[in-house]
Amino acid sequence: MKTDTRHASADDPRVFLDEQVGIFEQIPPYPPQTEREAEFYTLRDGEMFINIGPHHPSTHGVLRVIMKIDGENVVDLDPVLGYLHRGVEKLCENADFHHTIAYMDPLEYVASLFCEWPAVMAYEKLLDVEVPRRAEYVRVLTGELNRISSHALAMGFHALDLGGLTPILYSFIERDEIVELLASITGQRMLFNYYRIGGVNGDLNHDFMSRLGTWMSRAATHIEANTGLLNENEIFVRRNRGLGAMDSQTALRMCWTGPNLRATGVPFDIRRAHPYSVYPELDFDVPTRSEGDALARYLIRIDEIKQSLRIIDQCLHEMPDGPITAKLPRLLRPRPGRAFASVEGPRGEYAIYAVSDGTDQPFRFRIHDPSFLHLQSFNLLMEGRLIADWMAINASLDPIMGGVDK
Amino acid sequence: MTVVARTWNRLTLPGKVVFTVVPLLVVLAVALVVALALFGEAVLEILGANLPIVRFAVAATAILLMTIPTAFLIIYMEMKGIALMNLRIGPDRVGPFGSLLSVVHGLKVLMKEDFTPTGADPTVFTLAPVVVYLSAVMALLVIPFGPGLFGVDMNIALLYFFAVGGLTVVGLLMGGWASFNKYSLLGGLRSAAQIISYEIPLTLSVVGVLILAGTMSLNQLVQNQAGWFTDWYIWQQPLGALIFFIAATAEANRTPFDLTEADSEIVAGFATEYSGMRFGFFFFAEYVNVFIVSALMVTLFFGGWNAPFPFPATSLELDPASLGIGLLLLIAIVPVVATLVFAAPFWLLRPAWPAWYGLVIGFVLFNLVAVAAVVGWAYVSFDWVAGLVWFLVKTYFFVFVFVWMRGTLPRVRIDQLMNFAWKWLMELAFINIFITAGAILVIDALSSGS
Repeated sequence: MKTDTRHASADDPRVFLDEQVGIFEQIPPYPPQTEREAEFYTLRDGEMFINIGPHHPSTHGVLRVIMKIDGENVVDLDPVLGYLHRGVEKLCENADFHHTIAYMDPLEYVASLFCEWPAVMAYEKLLDVEVPRRAEYVRVLTGELNRISSHALAMGFHALDLGGLTPILYSFIERDEIVELLASITGQRMLFNYYRIGGVNGDLNHDFMSRLGTWMSRAATHIEANTGLLNENEIFVRRNRGLGAMDSQTALRMCWTGPNLRATGVPFDIRRAHPYSVYPELDFDVPTRSEGDALARYLIRIDEIKQSLRIIDQCLHEMPDGPITAKLPRLLRPRPGRAFASVEGPRGEYAIYAVSDGTDQPFRFRIHDPSFLHLQSFNLLMEGRLIADWMAINASLDPIMGGVDK
Repeated sequence: MTVVARTWNRLTLPGKVVFTVVPLLVVLAVALVVALALFGEAVLEILGANLPIVRFAVAATAILLMTIPTAFLIIYMEMKGIALMNLRIGPDRVGPFGSLLSVVHGLKVLMKEDFTPTGADPTVFTLAPVVVYLSAVMALLVIPFGPGLFGVDMNIALLYFFAVGGLTVVGLLMGGWASFNKYSLLGGLRSAAQIISYEIPLTLSVVGVLILAGTMSLNQLVQNQAGWFTDWYIWQQPLGALIFFIAATAEANRTPFDLTEADSEIVAGFATEYSGMRFGFFFFAEYVNVFIVSALMVTLFFGGWNAPFPFPATSLELDPASLGIGLLLLIAIVPVVATLVFAAPFWLLRPAWPAWYGLVIGFVLFNLVAVAAVVGWAYVSFDWVAGLVWFLVKTYFFVFVFVWMRGTLPRVRIDQLMNFAWKWLMELAFINIFITAGAILVIDALSSGS
């Protein structure tokens, strides 16, 4: 009789399987390779692992986090990255300079323009190209629109991760109008592929300008109204106040940038600290908050939306006439050298370090993404917190996995 | 016989139960009809002699059947209500304004694969939704829907309600444990912690009402609140009502206390591994629970089936039988005439429309008027209709409040939930009891002294 080597299926007792299934497999399937791994994957009494992601409603993409929990308390956690890894850097090193811009979009799929921007800036530095002023203004205008759409979405998802169903849909009203606006000049709703080396792909058109005027006339009141559901909500405020608090020194040491850093009180904004494009000519504030908790990170995004509206207003008033692209040959062969360009994105500093060896392809193409650096602080922020807090902290950091996994 | 045997073997456990119980019930019903036809007198006598048992059987069946349209209605309310709050359209495909979508939901869960995950405990896994659903239905048994419309009139109805309502947590824990899934386990444990914690303020919050009423019978409680709306217990027990509402929200696992199925944290909590009709039972039980806590809220604090004002005793003195041949004419002629009368304005004012548009609108309008007339007649003629109407109006108002909260509020955290129950609600409930008891003592002393 061979039946004793076969196991009854738990689904159907009449079915026998060759091997016992249904018992959890060991995580990770290989023996621990580092000290940290050995320590993390050793369970003490009363602890268990719970796997969050990569397919989970609130991981903002395909982030996977293995949590070691004791009841509701998170003892330790281990983010697992790489589920969206496509090898973009290597792809770009094997592509024409123009082609690499298209690879930039999916890195930051919520605010794609901010990944194109440093790439074209780096190439412009390599090529010594003067970008026409109108193109710079168009870049700033579309970039700030994209920043608003990204921040609006971040606010909505923050509420959704705390269980509020409604704010996300209010956010999507604003975001939908903005992506429609951008689609009318770029042709795409999500991955715009709009910036070009030495300019932009298309000029502003009538559709864009008329819709933008309508949207701008009510944007501020709409955003104010949308935030009312959360800012004055006792449950939302109580869950976020003091949650995942970060002091400015640690934040700087953990390489935080963007709204998350400014929420800790450091007024570091690349638009002011290392000015690029036409930002020195524009009048806007760098909002900061001192608390550094999830609530501050949420509120500072609202403040930034207001500043972005101011910038858009100024861009529309001061938009010069002229060409939108510099005259460049189709095949680019920049001089051998290296260039670094960084922009202030909705999540922090997006930077590109490009090395040219004189051919038509970048020799080395390094992408710096802020979300990756924010994710590495999970263990600091989750000190003595509960499972539900992880969702709030993750939402307040607002990572985009496309850039994290590259 | 092999065909029958093979079919039988292919059925899942719930299928086997259904295919045993349903034919049994059909046979019993047919036997009852046959017996009535053959030995009418004797059967009626037996039924009359055992009237309480017959009444209980009929009431229990009615309540069991009532849960399904109730759940459908609340699901539709929730889908449409939250959609409107979200500035969406919501369901609009099946039926008028999408009102039949929840029926389609019901059919969908019936037809989906009823899957048991590997490693689950099939027996407990199957029983868990049954326990949850039955505890909801059993709690519904003591709710007075109208004068004389109740399953059982117990003198300890409130106690029974809390006892049976507390069974829900057993079902959720069973489901969470038997699913062989960590999310389910966390959900089940959360539900145990949450429901048991909130059971205490929930039970304490009604003690004030009990002191005032001196009875635990829900029928008696409702009758105590008869008269004007100022006689409702909400005016004497506002704090108790507030505590009851908050604790009942947690008991029914509704936002902002829906931690047991927190979709952004533990996917779907105890229901993660459920599919098909077993999930359907959880789903239905949730909405029936919403109805139940709203109904109890109304019964305890908002006068139950009492109208907010004493309705003047009116009688239409209308006996349909006395109309004779006139009744026949009424039935034959009025629909046609009324349809044409209602259609006429559309024919006159919208000549561009095809004629049948007007006819259809006229027929629909006539039906609405006829239904309104019949309900109005029933309202003034029958006590229980009036009571049922007021009860349902008040109950669905509170159901709407639950839907409203779900559309508005985020979820609390588990430690905040526990702090709120033990540090605030329970103390407030005790204060409420002391104030009520003290007031009763003072009033008694004053009235006996004078």
